Amino acid sequence: MGRKILLVEDDKETAAYLAKGLTQEGHSVEQAANGQDGLFRATDGSFDLIVLDRMLPVIDGLSVLKALRAAKIQTPVLILSALASVGDRIEGLECGSDDYLTKPFSFAELLARVNALLRRREARVDPAEHRLSVGDLEIDPLSRSVRRAGKKLDLKPREYLLLEYFARNEGRVVTRTMLLEQVWDYHFDPGTNVIDVHVSRLRRKLDEGFDKPLLHTVRGAGYMLAA
Amino acid sequence: MSTTLRIALLAGLLALVSNLAVIGFIYYRTHDEAAATLRQQVMEQGKVLADVYRSGGRPALDGAIRDTMTYADPQTAVAIIGQDGGQAEGNLDAIPPSLLKSREGYRNALIRLRGQTTPHEAALTMHELAGGQWLVSGRIAGEGLAIRDTLERSLLIALVFAGLLGLLCGLILAHYVGRRIGSIARVADRISARDLTQRVPVSRADDAFDRLGRQINAMLDRISALMEELRLLTDSLAHDLRSPVSRLRSAAHAAAQASDPREQEELFGSVIRQADSLMRILTTVLEISRSEALTGRRQFAWFDVGELSNELTEMYDPLAEERSTTLVYDRPAWPVPLFGHRQLLAQAISNLIENALRYGASGGEIRVRVEPSERTIRVEVADRGPGIPPERRDEARRRFGRLDTSRSDEGAGLGLALAESIAHLHNGQLLLEDNRPGLLTVLVLPVHAERPPSSGAVQPEASAAI
Repeated sequence: MGRKILLVEDDKETAAYLAKGLTQEGHSVEQAANGQDGLFRATDGSFDLIVLDRMLPVIDGLSVLKALRAAKIQTPVLILSALASVGDRIEGLECGSDDYLTKPFSFAELLARVNALLRRREARVDPAEHRLSVGDLEIDPLSRSVRRAGKKLDLKPREYLLLEYFARNEGRVVTRTMLLEQVWDYHFDPGTNVIDVHVSRLRRKLDEGFDKPLLHTVRGAGYMLAA
Repeated sequence: MSTTLRIALLAGLLALVSNLAVIGFIYYRTHDEAAATLRQQVMEQGKVLADVYRSGGRPALDGAIRDTMTYADPQTAVAIIGQDGGQAEGNLDAIPPSLLKSREGYRNALIRLRGQTTPHEAALTMHELAGGQWLVSGRIAGEGLAIRDTLERSLLIALVFAGLLGLLCGLILAHYVGRRIGSIARVADRISARDLTQRVPVSRADDAFDRLGRQINAMLDRISALMEELRLLTDSLAHDLRSPVSRLRSAAHAAAQASDPREQEELFGSVIRQADSLMRILTTVLEISRSEALTGRRQFAWFDVGELSNELTEMYDPLAEERSTTLVYDRPAWPVPLFGHRQLLAQAISNLIENALRYGASGGEIRVRVEPSERTIRVEVADRGPGIPPERRDEARRRFGRLDTSRSDEGAGLGLALAESIAHLHNGQLLLEDNRPGLLTVLVLPVHAERPPSSGAVQPEASAAI
């Protein structure tokens, strides 16, 4: 299921590396090397996702983003930036981007976020998902009840939110920073393994006593919920 | 032209102009109507006698002179003077020799009338007669004219002196100002030449120059302190990055040499982790500078600090349990609205909690408390660990100020420094206190003067929207 991705990045090496990686994932990638060209290509609205560098020649990334949103083009935008402070991230998100990734990043992190954004696009198209199910796991978002193989799991509110986020990204890698941003709404990088502790607690409740684990650790990237 | 000379000339010129105005006024006032009347009388008398001479010749003139001496008032002076100064007719006893060298017309001169002992200033007209003789007629001017003449001469001299004195004062003033400014300029020069230890000398006079000097000195003190801090920061940044960089290097080296693919994968994972921790250090250092530069204030909004602290305590609760301690949150009775940067304060509070978990977990309980008061909100994190002795607390809050250097695996010693800079961003401060036993870290945040826009309860979710 290849998608159309517009990559606006002025650094040739980064652009080539990202384009190669995304193409290998089956997406079709179009490239623009400056903000003006990027804005021009993006305005036809035919892309499923725009990966936008923040510091660009001619027109900077945030201005491109603002212009797109002003023109009512709602294509999901992932901002890439070397500006890593909390304030910069929030500024980027306030300008209407859907996600913000700071350089340097691993390709796994970028891919995880790209897939999450494309997935969100899908979900928007088809909102008829009342129940989420992954293998023998069933989640009812309305009553917030979770069952595995018919057995009710007793989750704390935050554990439920964590699991729901995993389930909505079924089969895709979810990184620690994505969890911190999406489940807790914090945009800093904690110096401790606090996220891992939460995930391992959830895993105990989810997988203990079952032969087949659902919550997997993806080395060097994060976690994945898959049957 | 030097500034000194320019100031001197300006002062001289100003003195001259102002004195000219004063002197002109005095001259105008003394040159009054009396002087004008006298002049008219003298001119008329001279004209009458000249007319007599023209119509009746010398005999008529002699008669007219005698009549004048007989009937006119005693102040009248009239005479016919020969070329040699000898007197043919009249009542003049003595005249200045200079009078004879002059020509026809009106003038003032010092004369002595017959029968008088002292000469008097008089207004005279001269009229040339036939045979080289002169008709001199006029009146004793009285005291006024004499004084006026003296005054005029004195005023002229005074004007010259005033100009010179002004110039002198200007020179002294310019020299003084130049000396005071020069001492400041010399310090500025030395500082430009990178000698930041120089200070402007300040006298006890406490004048404008001293105040300027003190301000410059205070500015220099602040700059030196900042430079010193910057130097310390770069030094410690360079020093503290050495060990993670060398760990990264050896991990990369080991990964490159590993033959077993599984082992290699593991080692590369470690390379990435080391690189990530380096990035985290750099990002935090940047975050501190940003907070200190106060750029984050644009993103201030209202939110509930109590709710935020609650969320964070919940987030760290499993981690505390893993380190066999308990994290307790003392929930305040009401929402605690604060106008601030929710994300950065979340980071500051989480840094305090992480710090307590890292160094104070051994003591058992860690308490988080939010205490609102009239003017400030205190966010406290208290542990029962070893604490920090008072003399080492400043060191603990410094960037890279990690007190226990043996634990190189965790933290770069930036947590408290970042929490403090975030407190500064909110016009607040970070206090390190004694929890008896243990460490009590407190973010003291001033309450914003205005209340939240809605009169009801704060909605943390809405204000946290990004």
